[in-house]
Amino acid sequence: MITESAGALARQPGSPLKPEGATEAVLVIEGLKKAYGRVTAVDDISFAVVRGETFGILGPNGAGKTTTLEMIEGLRDPDGGRITFLGMDVVKERRRVQQRIGVQLQSQALWPELTVEETLKLFGSLFHRRVDIGTLLDRFSLMDKRRALVKGLSGGQKQRLSIATALVNDPEVVFLDEPTTGLDPQARHSFWDLIRDMKREGKTVIVTTHYMEEAEALCDRVAIMDHGRIIALDAPRALVRSLASESTIEFGFPETAEREELAGLPGVRDMRKENGSVLLFTNDVSATLNALIRFADQKGQQISSLNVRTATLEDVFINLTGRRLRD
Amino acid sequence: MSARAFVQMAIAQGTMLRRNVAFWLISIFIAVLSMMVFGLLFKPEAQAFDLAVVDEDGSQAAQSLTGAFASVENVKFQQGSRSEELGALKDGDRGAVVIVPPGFGAGIEQGGAALQVYYDNSNLIRIGYVTSTVKAVVDSYNESLAGRHDTVRLEQQAVETQTVRFIDFLTPGMVGMTIMFTNLAVGFLMVTWREQGILRRLGVTPLRPGLLIASQAVSFGLISIAQVTLILLIGRLVFNVHIEGSYLWLAVSGLLGVLCMLSIGYTLASFARTMPSFNAAQQLLAFPMLFLGRSYFPIDPSPALAPIVAAVPLTHLNDALRAVVNHGGGLGDLWISWLALIAWAVGGFIVSIRLFRWQ
Repeated sequence: MITESAGALARQPGSPLKPEGATEAVLVIEGLKKAYGRVTAVDDISFAVVRGETFGILGPNGAGKTTTLEMIEGLRDPDGGRITFLGMDVVKERRRVQQRIGVQLQSQALWPELTVEETLKLFGSLFHRRVDIGTLLDRFSLMDKRRALVKGLSGGQKQRLSIATALVNDPEVVFLDEPTTGLDPQARHSFWDLIRDMKREGKTVIVTTHYMEEAEALCDRVAIMDHGRIIALDAPRALVRSLASESTIEFGFPETAEREELAGLPGVRDMRKENGSVLLFTNDVSATLNALIRFADQKGQQISSLNVRTATLEDVFINLTGRRLRD
Repeated sequence: MSARAFVQMAIAQGTMLRRNVAFWLISIFIAVLSMMVFGLLFKPEAQAFDLAVVDEDGSQAAQSLTGAFASVENVKFQQGSRSEELGALKDGDRGAVVIVPPGFGAGIEQGGAALQVYYDNSNLIRIGYVTSTVKAVVDSYNESLAGRHDTVRLEQQAVETQTVRFIDFLTPGMVGMTIMFTNLAVGFLMVTWREQGILRRLGVTPLRPGLLIASQAVSFGLISIAQVTLILLIGRLVFNVHIEGSYLWLAVSGLLGVLCMLSIGYTLASFARTMPSFNAAQQLLAFPMLFLGRSYFPIDPSPALAPIVAAVPLTHLNDALRAVVNHGGGLGDLWISWLALIAWAVGGFIVSIRLFRWQ
């Protein structure tokens, strides 16, 4: 009954950091805007990232996450606003900024005809500062594959090589754009360990994702984006706490007139109806559950696929937008 | 950073191209296959041709020489008056007209006589065969005069001094073709990299587009040099095709061709969004160029077509290569072709740097 997100919450690292705290802001974004034709992709967003934090940008596909990263990385020019990286204007000093960042894009973008070692050497040659390639190979378990052509690597090995290329210049900030999309759960968890290693080394990590459990598990702070705007920004736990309720009860219930009465059950703070199912947001799980089962008995209705969980970022998103992240 | 990045990029891309064996082998294969087909199996120059003798002397010696020409294989023998035969030559109906002048027989008696030979030099494919046939007849006639090898001299009219066989003509054309196909492919590479996100990945590093393009030019240049060397080596060893001119001028001409074709490849890649659309555009461009540029056959363009032929960059590449390989040409023969190639290269690079995009 308890979903995996409860476990993910328990693994959540560190205490939430506030950007206005004592630590230095490495990245400051003010009033950033970008439109493609008439479509506004990024609509006047502002935030700051402090040194050493893992900062998540969470949102559904098309929310503007990738466009935001591309402007910070120097791939696209903003239509308005300002991006400051370690005191440098990203638009004006793009190449100086690019010397000090590491990027993993959504596509792995590796040359099939090069070996693992040649790939790292080539990327390394593009930067002033570079780390020892042997150390990188060891760290990403690619040492015995160093003379293998990229086209012969497994998916997981390519993924590790792709991240290794983002670290060849010992960057101060690492950008990861939806790094675990398409990975199986096991690969995803070992990837999370890699990100935690980077954090332990003191690197600032900025990661976009549409997996709320990933944001909860990894990020010190999360910006939730929707339709090009930031609709919430805080530590994951603080965001969840800001919900009026602590738990969510989700179940299948027929779309009858009686469904409306569910909102009046004890402990229920809010209710959301979807096609065949109902979400009850509650502060008192046992009281609400007991009442719910009695209610169903009295009305002769069947409750199906009952799911009780501690509130998650998903619930925060639903609460703010009325939609689910993965719709 | 720049020098190191430049060297590493050039090495890495050279390595990628080298490992892509199908890519660099296929254009060599087409070139060598064409040389085999036209050089060994089907010799377009060895077709029968009309040869006329005008005997204005009538001596014993003149008659026996005329007989020698009449008995040559693969020749349609004609006889007539000087004006008739030269008229026929002008109309393209004679490969050569041999004129035995008055006093030829008397000259032989005194140990020296001359023959006038007129060639049809509008037919470049056949002329080498025609001149060597006439020369062979005269040589064997000289031998028959008891060891007096230089009794009869040939006064050749309207023909270049070097005899160019078809294979001699074809080989530099195949070099030009290979340079074109190999280097236009840089555009395919760029479109592929853009589609796979590799250019985006490079776009978030400090790498400058100009440095990327320069390093690609070096690696494509090296691959082209290897291909051209191989083709010329096969030409030399199998078909005895000699490079008459300077290797330096050959290298300069080839490398200008490389730059010119690369710039066209980049320009195509800036307009084509997908690999299929690049392929279509490339073929639409390459195949007309192949024929208008005279890689395979000499063409005598009609006045309407002449400006197009003159605009085709492959025309100038092939002209330059033939000037060096076939005729030992120098700067005076080459500068127009070089200028045309440079113009194309500069124009193409300006357009493609302007339109360059990482994604």
